[in-house]
Amino acid sequence: MSLLDTRERRRTPATAPPVAARNGLWQRIRAAKWSYVYLAPMAVLLLAFVIYPIFASFGYTFYRWNGIGSPGEYVGLDNFRQILHDGIFWGAVKHTFLYAFVLVPVQLLLALALALVLNNPKLKFALFFRTVYFIPVVTSAAVVGVVIQLMLANFGDSAGSLLAKTGVTNGHIDWLGDPNTALAVIIAIGIWHTLGYNLVYFLAGLQTIPAELYEAAKLDGCGPVQSFFRITIPMLRQVGVVIVVLAFIGSFQVFDLVQVLTGGGPYFATEVVNTYIYHLAFGGAAGAAAQPDIGLASAASFLYGLLLILFSALQVLALRRISRRRTAANQ
Amino acid sequence: MAMPTLSPRLRQGRRGLLYLALLGGGLIWLYPFLWALGSSLKSTDGFFSGGLNPIPSEFHWSNYSEAWTQADFSRFFVNTVLFAMGTVVVTLLATSMAGYVLARTDFPGKKIWLGLVGVTLFLPHGYTIIPVFDLIQRLHLLNTLWSVVIVQSAGGMVFGTFLFMGYFTTIDRGLEDAARVDGANFHQIFWRIMLPLSGPMLATVGLFACITAWNSFFIPLVFTLSRPELHTLSVGMFNFIGQNSTAWTLVCAGSVITLLPIVLIFVVLQRFFINGLAGAVKQ
Repeated sequence: MSLLDTRERRRTPATAPPVAARNGLWQRIRAAKWSYVYLAPMAVLLLAFVIYPIFASFGYTFYRWNGIGSPGEYVGLDNFRQILHDGIFWGAVKHTFLYAFVLVPVQLLLALALALVLNNPKLKFALFFRTVYFIPVVTSAAVVGVVIQLMLANFGDSAGSLLAKTGVTNGHIDWLGDPNTALAVIIAIGIWHTLGYNLVYFLAGLQTIPAELYEAAKLDGCGPVQSFFRITIPMLRQVGVVIVVLAFIGSFQVFDLVQVLTGGGPYFATEVVNTYIYHLAFGGAAGAAAQPDIGLASAASFLYGLLLILFSALQVLALRRISRRRTAANQ
Repeated sequence: MAMPTLSPRLRQGRRGLLYLALLGGGLIWLYPFLWALGSSLKSTDGFFSGGLNPIPSEFHWSNYSEAWTQADFSRFFVNTVLFAMGTVVVTLLATSMAGYVLARTDFPGKKIWLGLVGVTLFLPHGYTIIPVFDLIQRLHLLNTLWSVVIVQSAGGMVFGTFLFMGYFTTIDRGLEDAARVDGANFHQIFWRIMLPLSGPMLATVGLFACITAWNSFFIPLVFTLSRPELHTLSVGMFNFIGQNSTAWTLVCAGSVITLLPIVLIFVVLQRFFINGLAGAVKQ
């Protein structure tokens, strides 16, 4: 309750403003004591619930533990061995990467196209359209998943049978129950659900491009296609790097949609890493370990975390390099 | 090569087509919501015969009262409101204070914190739920709304701090100096001058925290798993389906109860939300 503390202390007379503190570190720390107090709530929450868990999950990986009481039996590296040999884990990694690598390019292209249309200053109601296309973003993935599940169930019954009768499809399609279509449906919903973020990011990026650049290009005889590739794309590069990184980070964390729509099924065809970890740690998946195993789940999260950190680092390095090289080439 | 000039009428026609496409696309885009809204008023038979048609043949308002009372959505609603409000308050206090000292004061160790905030912004998290669960359990906070508020707020620390930091750096330093000359102390400068000046950013970060909390599923699911009376709307909905796999119209009413408030809040306050997002990416 540091807020109450500061409020309480606010009534005490103010300490003298810090004199140039050259007499060592301790004095500088003391002079800045209120800075630390103000930083503390954020720092404690960040350290305890974001940073510490990254390292702490490693500790559980050596135990077989059902999550109640203290960690039980020490099993050494057994958990890692078991995860590395688990086909379902690698399947989950594959599905998560497939989800991300299909979703990100498709979503970014659609968002960029829409942003270009909405950025046109002559377009009326641009704000209205931006709102419409952004709305799915502010809705709960879990609830939206339920609604779409119901729609698909109804679709399967009405339109699906119509398709089957006219011979377009081979019999009734259970979109989420068929291992061949379930992941594709989830990816499509994922693209729809978060496209608005990238739309807004691209619009923000487009608005930083000075209009004079386009006017100059027009005078020089550039058509719209040329000015898109010569001006828009290069000028969007900086924002683009951030957009791509954020889109991948978000996609790798997919959980709500999958958990609600399929729970990882059918036959693990849509199991992503986060649902896999959830099922190991808290149970509930058909076919998964009936007894929750925190050690095993931690080993899986730890391996996945390493994979993600590695991927993020590579991604940032690669994108920086691309953007630097192109900027240099343009100069 | 000059663009071929189109006759005004042709250009008008093209623009009309563009509006039509945007409107049609928007209708498809929002179709799941319109369908849920319509289906929440259908009778059980009407639901199945209606298929993808969102318009109910007769209006069954009783779906809402049933969802509200019998399916316990009133309780989930109150829990969600408390959870979202708690998260907003904790997030705003912690991130505005941290953002201020990181932007405007100097202290040993500041660089480390700036680095930590920067790195964490791009660090994937969410796979660390187990240690968080263990920590909450050891603090004896498991199965309380507090645990959900704390864990949810912690997740928003970096983004909020980052936004406030950016905002406070843009405020004129002369203002603080003048206040200091007038005898204002550290706290007075922050609470009486800087914080009131950061209204738009308070709205942005607060709205962001509110929307994220309202829609949060994983965190409330994990930390209130065995306590149905603490469930939020999204978790309650998930469980309701698990137990009543046939009451589809009630499920639709429940989803409208969950989705509508946050969509309305967003539509009214979207300026703050979208400007904040856009600003964060541009920085």
